[in-house]
Formats: sequence, structure tokens, C-alpha cells
Amino acid sequence: MPDTPIFQAHGLHKRFQQGSLQVHALRGIDLRIDAGEFVVIAGPSGSGKSTLLNLLGLLDSPSEGQLSFAGRDVSRLSAAELSGLRRDSLGFVFQAYNLMPVLSALENTEMVMEFQGIAPEQRRERSIRLLQQLGLGEQMHRYPDQLSGGQQQRVAVARAIASGPRVVIADEPTANLDSATAIALMELMQSLNREQGVSFVFSSHDPLVIQRARRVILLRDGKLVSDQAQDPIERPEARERARRDGEARHALA
Amino acid sequence: MNMLAHRLALRNLLRHRRRSGFTAAIIVITLALLTCFQGLSDGGHQAMIQVGVRMGLGHLILSQQGHAQDPSLERLIAQAPHALEQSRAAAGSLARHVVPRLRFSAMAQAGAQQIAVTASGVEPALELPVSGIADARAIIVGHPLPVSTAKASPGEAPARTGLPPLVLGERLAKALDVRIGDRVTLTVKPLGGGEFARAAFELHGIFRTGIQELDAFWVELPLEAAQGLTSAAQGVSHLALYLEDERQLAALQQQLQPLLEARAWEAQAWTQAAPELNSAVAMDAAGMALLMVIVIVVVVAGILNTVIMSVLKRHREFGVMLALGSSPGLIVRVVLLESLYLAGTSLLLGLLLGLAAHWHFATEGLNFREVFGTGLEAGGVLLPERFYSLLKPLKLAGVATLILLLTLLVSLYPAYKSGRLKPIEAIKHHA
Repeated sequence: MPDTPIFQAHGLHKRFQQGSLQVHALRGIDLRIDAGEFVVIAGPSGSGKSTLLNLLGLLDSPSEGQLSFAGRDVSRLSAAELSGLRRDSLGFVFQAYNLMPVLSALENTEMVMEFQGIAPEQRRERSIRLLQQLGLGEQMHRYPDQLSGGQQQRVAVARAIASGPRVVIADEPTANLDSATAIALMELMQSLNREQGVSFVFSSHDPLVIQRARRVILLRDGKLVSDQAQDPIERPEARERARRDGEARHALA
Repeated sequence: MNMLAHRLALRNLLRHRRRSGFTAAIIVITLALLTCFQGLSDGGHQAMIQVGVRMGLGHLILSQQGHAQDPSLERLIAQAPHALEQSRAAAGSLARHVVPRLRFSAMAQAGAQQIAVTASGVEPALELPVSGIADARAIIVGHPLPVSTAKASPGEAPARTGLPPLVLGERLAKALDVRIGDRVTLTVKPLGGGEFARAAFELHGIFRTGIQELDAFWVELPLEAAQGLTSAAQGVSHLALYLEDERQLAALQQQLQPLLEARAWEAQAWTQAAPELNSAVAMDAAGMALLMVIVIVVVVAGILNTVIMSVLKRHREFGVMLALGSSPGLIVRVVLLESLYLAGTSLLLGLLLGLAAHWHFATEGLNFREVFGTGLEAGGVLLPERFYSLLKPLKLAGVATLILLLTLLVSLYPAYKSGRLKPIEAIKHHA
């Protein structure tokens, strides 16, 4: 494990105005996340999970406290530098998939690599390989509205990891999926973490998801109430069921 | 990355086919109509100018200095044949025709009727290619002035009375109550003063030009007879020059400057000689320009509306792109390209449709009376019943370029705002 953590947070606070109300979403978070980790940020609604993920995803800045990414203090970075870091070092998976509706699965997967200026042949080859690995070889030329929720989220995962990020930030990635698809997606992320060394930090309040993480950070009312390592549950039978579900859906499509 | 911007822009336009199609249809129709109206307007102006110029003006009128202010017989160009040769030589290829005319005020009398008229002594042979009155189609009864007073050409009726021929306007003939072959007497105060001079003519033809001033008060007679009546010897009041290309008016004026100075002549362009016609053309052109401004505003507003709708609906998409590391410049390019594709394609289709309409009216012409049930008169000139569309490509290209530039301009703000979106807020946006 390298010495420099991917994320290092000290006393993170986040306050924002909601109408006439000031919300104190994060109340002094101290945190360290290293490369290769598979971390879930858990907690009930309103606990500050998404706010913390937005800070870790360099999409927002803390009201107070210090956050560093790969040893760099992010408060000192310009908007362009933050954008560059997001492009080159972070991958995102959103709850609502957020694929570009006018691009095919393949083109969506290529998009961040296009931002990076990677040559067309190279990014196409990498995207095709990834989509095939994720079981979307047949659907790569389909548009998002021609894909199921699970397939769209797999494309989102492909898009997130295609650009070779150091860490993937996933905000409730399974919230819109049925259980079998959610488990299949978690297993996919687990295998990417295990086999390709991609770090994952994701939020969830779903026990089925949480028990698959190797580390669980629990938030409540904006505070970190526990941070524990755990042995993730591997369920081959669940994977098998998800595979069968996928085949059945494919046959019906 | 550029290709991504093009792909996103084009596909987004196609994604919202109804919205894009509606905007495109507005642009196509308005531009097609504008192109068509512009052609008819410019064609109408040219027809009006041609009619005005053909009805006795000429593009450029040379006369003795001071004649324009005081058109009396005291200010004539002497030695007309020589002056004619000099003018032709000086004008060179710019002038297609140079014709001499002796214009004077006279009293026309037939029986008990007397009417003050403007008489114009002309050389019928020279007038034929340039004058609307000399055109046989303008003669509604009788014949035009014979090209030779000595011998009538085929189709020209010989004088029955042995008197010199004369043609006059339809309304004047009615007022004088004369018919072909009748005697019309002209009385003038000749050059040098003295007693009134009087001469009788035989009514040879009656013309109808549609121009009130000509049809009610205009008389034409052979130049030689006019010079005899007015004692003008070989003097003429005007030399009328007709251009090969009417856009060469300023060049011709410049070329004639040394001659004008040497002979103490002055030159008057048709725009000065017929200010009403010139004003009518200018007013109509201004109306067309106003219409063009309205069309441009409609087109640009349509595009702006589409761009704003499109941008507002896609805050979330732009937010995702920015979150994933897209540069703001890429978002700006996507929005601008969308506008350009929409405007460019619509402009092209609109121009093609407009040009097709122009082609129809340029070859078949527009019969104004047939379509609108009435003739069109402007500046005292009645437009010919059928006139033809005339397009000035530079003007059209200018309008198309202006629309494209304005499209870019009005799209800049929404494009800039899209590029400046905060990803975290934009992602939460629900269209």
C-alpha cells in the first residue's frame, strides 16, 4: 500500500443554505482512504453521504477543514486543475446513470477518453474490451434508452473505469436497480477492484450493498460515527442468479 | 474532442426533431419569402427605373448650364450634330445611346380646345431603341413618328395633309377631342422673343404610357420641325445618354466631366431629373430593408429560443460532462455548433427554396395586375404589367452571413452560461 493516501481529510465541514435555513451537512470529518480500497460510506438519508462523496469527487469544496487528493491540497487548485484531476484521476458512477442520451454505449464509454485526448483507435479498442468484459458486447451500439437500468449502470461503470482513474466515486449506484441487478453490479465492482486494482468509494444505505464492502464508514447527522474494516460477503449463488436473470432479460428483449 | 462536439450538437438537434424542425421550418419559410420578395422588389425597382428612363428621361441628361433651373429656349446646346458627336466620343462604350431633344412649352390647339403642353422635338430613328413613346406598343391609335420625314417606312402611314406629324398622349387627345389625321396647332414663343410662332401638324399617333404627366400634357414631333417652329436652328435643349449598365452612372459622369467643363454644360442624372421616381424607389427599398430586419429578428429569435430551450433542458447533461472532466470550452462549442448547424441548414434550404421562386419569377415574370387586380404606380410611373425578379447575390449573401453571425452572437451567452455551470448543481437539475 503506498504511503500517500488517495484521500486525506481533516476536520471537514460543509454548510449550505437551503432557503432561509442553514444546513450543516458535515461536522468535522477526519478520513484517510488509500489506493486499492473498496469503501462504502453508509448511513441513513440526510446523514451527509452524498455531501461527503461530492467533496471526495472534487465537485464541491468544504466550508472548513482540509482535503487532499493524492497529496495535493485541493483547496489550492483552480477550477481547471480540479476539472483535470476529475478527468484523469477520478471515475464517477451516478445513481441515475447519467449517460449521454445521444451517444451509444460504446461512445459513452469513450467519452472521458475523448476528453483526455486519447487516440480514437486506442479508446475504441479499450472501450470494446471493457464492454465485453462487463457483458455488454452485444449492446455496445445501443443508446441508453434501449438498455435496461442494470445495463445502463454497467455502461456507467465502464465509462468510469475506461479512462484509467485512481478511484471511482459512486453515489448510491444500486439505488435504482432491483436486488439481483444490484448484487451483480456490486460483484462487478468487487471484481474490478480485486483484479484490476481500481479503488472504489461509494455510498449506500442498502445492507445488501454495504456487506460487500471491505471497509464501512458510517455517517450519522454529518458525523463519522464508525469506520470499520470487514470481510466482504461473496455470494456465488447470487452472482449465478444475477447471471440467469440477465440471460432471461436478454432472451425476452 | 472536436468531433465529439459536432456529434453531440448534431445528434441533439436530431433528438428533438419536432423542436428543431419547427424552428428550421420558420427560418426556411421566412428566408425563402425574403429571397423571393427581395428579387421581386429589386426587379420592380429596375422596371420602374427603366420605365422612367425610357419615358423620355435618359440615365444622364446633358444641357447648357442653368437649363435645369431655367428651361428656356435661351439656354440651348448649339450645333446639335457636332455636340452629339462630341458626347458620343466622350462617353465611349459606357453609353449605349445618345439622343438629342428639343423640349419647350407650347400651347396646343385643336378646334376650340387649347391646352398648355410640353413639346419634345425628337429624331424618331434615334428614339426607337430608347424611348417608350417611340415604341409602337405605346401607340394605341395611329402610328409612331415616322423614322424619316421624307419617306415613310413600312407600317408607317404617310401624312394625309402634307403637314409634319405629331404624336400625343391619350388624355391630351381626349381633352383636345382629336382623332388620327386631325390638325393640331402648336403656338410657341420662339427663341429671341418677338411674335408668337405657330405651326400646324397632323395627328399621327396617340400613345398611352400610364404616366399622367406624359399622357395628359406631352407632345412629340420631329426635331427638325421643332427647331423650325422655335427658331432654334440646330439647337437642342438636351442630349440624353442611355447607359449600357445603369450601375455605371457615376463612372459616366466622371468620364464626361472634361467635356462638360469645356462646353459649359451640366449633367443631370435621372435620380435628380425624376426625384419622385427616385424617392419612390428609395422608399420601397427602405420598406424592403425594414422587412429584412424583421425577418432577421424572427429568424434569430427563433434560433435563440431553440438554443435556450435546448440548453435549459440539458443542464444535467452538461453538468455530468463537466463533472467527468470536460472543459467548459467543449460545452460552449457544442451549444454554438448546434446553433450554427440549425441556422446553416435552414438558411441553405431557405435560400434554395427562395432561389427556386426567384427563378420562376425571373423567367416567367410576375403579372401584378393579374395577381393583385390593379396596376402598381410609384413616383408617377406605372409599373409594366409584367416584371421580372432580379436578385443581387451580394445582398443575399450579406443577409445570410449576417443571420449566421447574429446566430453566433445570440448563442454566445447561453453557450457561455452552459460552460460556466457548476457541475454539482447542474447534475441535480431536472429538465
